[in-house]
Amino acid sequence: MQNRRNSLFLLAAALLGAGLCVAAEPAYRLQGRAAPDFALRATSGSNFRLSEHRGEVMLLVFWGSRCGQCGTQLTSLSHMVDTYRSAGLAAFAVNVDDDQVAAAEFAMAHPVSFPVLLDPAKAVARQFQVDNLPMLLLVDRAGVIRHVHRNYRSGSDAQYLDQIKILLDE
Amino acid sequence: MKRSFHQTSILLALLAMPALALLAGEASDSPPPPAPDTRALDEEIQAIKKDVVDLNRDLFVLEEELLFPANTQVAVFLSMDVGEFFALDTVELRVDNKQVAKYLYTPREAEALLKGGVQRLYLGNLRVGNHELVALFTGKGPNNQDYSRGAQLKFEKSVGAKYLELKIADRQRKRQPEFEIKDWE
Repeated sequence: MQNRRNSLFLLAAALLGAGLCVAAEPAYRLQGRAAPDFALRATSGSNFRLSEHRGEVMLLVFWGSRCGQCGTQLTSLSHMVDTYRSAGLAAFAVNVDDDQVAAAEFAMAHPVSFPVLLDPAKAVARQFQVDNLPMLLLVDRAGVIRHVHRNYRSGSDAQYLDQIKILLDE
Repeated sequence: MKRSFHQTSILLALLAMPALALLAGEASDSPPPPAPDTRALDEEIQAIKKDVVDLNRDLFVLEEELLFPANTQVAVFLSMDVGEFFALDTVELRVDNKQVAKYLYTPREAEALLKGGVQRLYLGNLRVGNHELVALFTGKGPNNQDYSRGAQLKFEKSVGAKYLELKIADRQRKRQPEFEIKDWE
């Protein structure tokens, strides 16, 4: 009897956990739609406009200096972008910190091979309905948002890579 | 005489071989099916594509005419001449002390302007009467220094569309950029 009760408790906990996981990953309303165009200044001083990269597969990652996983993700993405740049992969890391000095220091500590753009007013983050950091979007060659990833876990890189390869082949 | 299953299989295979060979020969001798006329279909697709593009253009013009009727329409254009003393970064536009446009230029866009491109920076509506336009330019000035300048124009909006042009040019004698707002009468 006690065993049965324990089993039922575990089952209920598992269902609740699964429910919470589903609730933690709400549907992204822009998926399947054209990525909004924007222009932002990079830490290097140059300006970048998204629409100028139409025809390339674009990887957009929104990050903040107080996000624990962001540094690891950026370093990992940098290697991936280096490998697939010649195949038509472009990447932009959009920082949403209010403090641009903190953002620049974080970017210096985690150097990446792609432009780090500054969005202190969060206008672009609002356009893209960013609700979590880090948040990664994959945009196809036609400018349509195809994949969204909230959070960064072990195994995320392999998933990104599979999706990037498919988008590059299209 | 009773045959085993193995013997029956061999016999059937031997009987079927000539029939298969005959079929294969017929298949190789028969002429290939005629290729469909893809050229006509391709021309038709191209014609439909052209119609769609034309229709889209007409709809765009119609939309602009509805949203910005000629009697209230104001358009502001931007052009650059030479650009030796100024590298454009941003332009902010204010009409009657209200920000109506702010544009960040990428190196490719600035290059297009230097090659003679004219950008429509703003399209809006204004009532008939007196108005003020202020444009704030930022970028890199002479000796690659941060540079910020403004230009202002008071103009009268009458019945009919109003076209204004922001012109950035080099003033060779002073070795400085020059910012001007021109009213296209």
